[in-house]
Amino acid sequence: MRVDYSMISRVLASTLGAYALAYAFAAACARLLPGDAADAAMIAALLSFALLTAFVPWIFSRRTACRAWGVVALAIPLAAVGFWPQLWSLVP
Amino acid sequence: MKKPSFTQSMSLLHTWGGLVLGWLLFVIFLSGSLAVFDQEIDNWMHPELPVAEVEQAHAAQVALDYLKQRHPEQTAWRISLPGERTDQLSVSVGEGRRNAEAQFLDPRSGEPLASRKSTGGYFFFSFHFLLNLPVLLGIWTTGFAAVAMLVALVSGIVIHKKIFKDFFTFRPAKGQRSWLDVHNVTGVLMLPFHLMIAYTALSIFAMIYMPAGVHSVFNGDNKAFTQQMYGGQRFGGPQVPKERGEPAPGADIAEVLVRAREVLGPVTDLSIGNPGYSTARIQARASMGNTVELTKGRTAVFDGVTGELLEPPTPTARRTLFTQRVMTGLHFAQFGGYPVRWLYFICGMASCVMIATGLVIFTLKRRRASEQTKTFAYRVYRSAEHLNVAIVAGLIVACGALLWSNHLLPAQLAERSDWEQRVFFGIWLLTLLHAFLRPWRKAWCEQLCLAAVLCLGLPLLNAFVDGQAHHPWLEGTSVGFGLILLRIARRVANPPAEVPARKRKSEATEVTP
Repeated sequence: MRVDYSMISRVLASTLGAYALAYAFAAACARLLPGDAADAAMIAALLSFALLTAFVPWIFSRRTACRAWGVVALAIPLAAVGFWPQLWSLVP
Repeated sequence: MKKPSFTQSMSLLHTWGGLVLGWLLFVIFLSGSLAVFDQEIDNWMHPELPVAEVEQAHAAQVALDYLKQRHPEQTAWRISLPGERTDQLSVSVGEGRRNAEAQFLDPRSGEPLASRKSTGGYFFFSFHFLLNLPVLLGIWTTGFAAVAMLVALVSGIVIHKKIFKDFFTFRPAKGQRSWLDVHNVTGVLMLPFHLMIAYTALSIFAMIYMPAGVHSVFNGDNKAFTQQMYGGQRFGGPQVPKERGEPAPGADIAEVLVRAREVLGPVTDLSIGNPGYSTARIQARASMGNTVELTKGRTAVFDGVTGELLEPPTPTARRTLFTQRVMTGLHFAQFGGYPVRWLYFICGMASCVMIATGLVIFTLKRRRASEQTKTFAYRVYRSAEHLNVAIVAGLIVACGALLWSNHLLPAQLAERSDWEQRVFFGIWLLTLLHAFLRPWRKAWCEQLCLAAVLCLGLPLLNAFVDGQAHHPWLEGTSVGFGLILLRIARRVANPPAEVPARKRKSEATEVTP
């Protein structure tokens, strides 16, 4: 049987990748929301499930596995926003 | 690889995701629907306990008398009171977890009652979200299934654009087409329920599933987040000093209960710290169903000697926490009494039907398509078909077997509640074996019939074995369930002649990869 690596890659992108994207989004969202930090973290978490639901079909329906991972890569700038103080502290 | 269109992608996602997670989702939905009536099932599973409507104050008083007599030196007493859903009265002592070693009492006289040890109706509740797995693994597995459900719904809507037309198209007795119609009708009609139940499921453990905010803003310090979010709200019994003080008579429990109901609404249990001493504290806990908001820890603390209210319940101040608790409350269905319970039960069962028919359609279609070739794919579909039987009909058989074993296992058996669970899982495993040994249609038929017999026999079992009380609602529902199962079994045994499906554009979207 022929193994469809492109499909496996797409499935990984739309499960683990989608979660990573939602996670990065929630981190950025919690960082950017004004007001109390605990409230921001909760709002980000509750919102992230709706986004996750949207991310999975969005990523899975990309025409190639590469494009699917391209969408997942949006997690990098979002995570940078969410974790900028931590990243900043790494700079010597 | 050929580049798939958006609809085709969604179809792939819906059918394959639906198949793999459908098995899990069926298990979660069936146990969840049963868990709506966990307390009622629990009552049925303790036939030695009397059905006797007693004033809560009277029950509390006899429980206190019992505890005073048997456990005067304990520093903590807990009393679980009878209420709207149950007549059970139980007490436990010591600092351990609630109901760790609960002793049932007769709510009328306070006599200790020997009841069979049963895994109880809460088995369905914990199985619903833990699946008998270690806690965190269980929570993550069911969370994954909830997201899969949401994705299946969204992709289902995309591939199934004619939502409104299908409100009015049910073509019974047309073989595979009818199964698809049932799938679509239950899916579409129940769509708001499906979306609500899957989304609110995620809200329960929101911060476990998505701790991103805690990781980023709180730098991963979960304690700091919890402190800020809950403001040091304590769970568990009342706080009392280590020095117990002088022996002192207790406050009038009936008066305390009246005051507790004034500030809390219906009360479900009492925790008493330092009972019998001058520093005694009585903590009353609100039952979960007073508001939509799920407030597990809503309590009021009273002075154990004077009966004075010391700590009134604190309303949820944070709007975000309130939102999360309302969402959780929507999932738990504790808020509207029996009408809401029935609504959730019926909707949950409709979801089970949607999932089960979806599973059947998937395999039916693909096995037929691959029948001539006898390839690897054919074997996969055939296995899936047999697995469907064990997951759908087999689980119903196993649930029935759990209730039967509750009445049939000897009452004095050691580790009795574990044995009930062993029967549940053992029978389920046997149905899996049976499903693979028998031809597909016969396997369905036999297991559905067995499930029907178990359901239909439930009232008889209760009447003949050792039932003291009747549970007309539970037993009536069980009989109704049995009749429906019989009907389905008959339909499966005598399939109507297949009418070739008319070719329609929309139906061509269910692609076979």
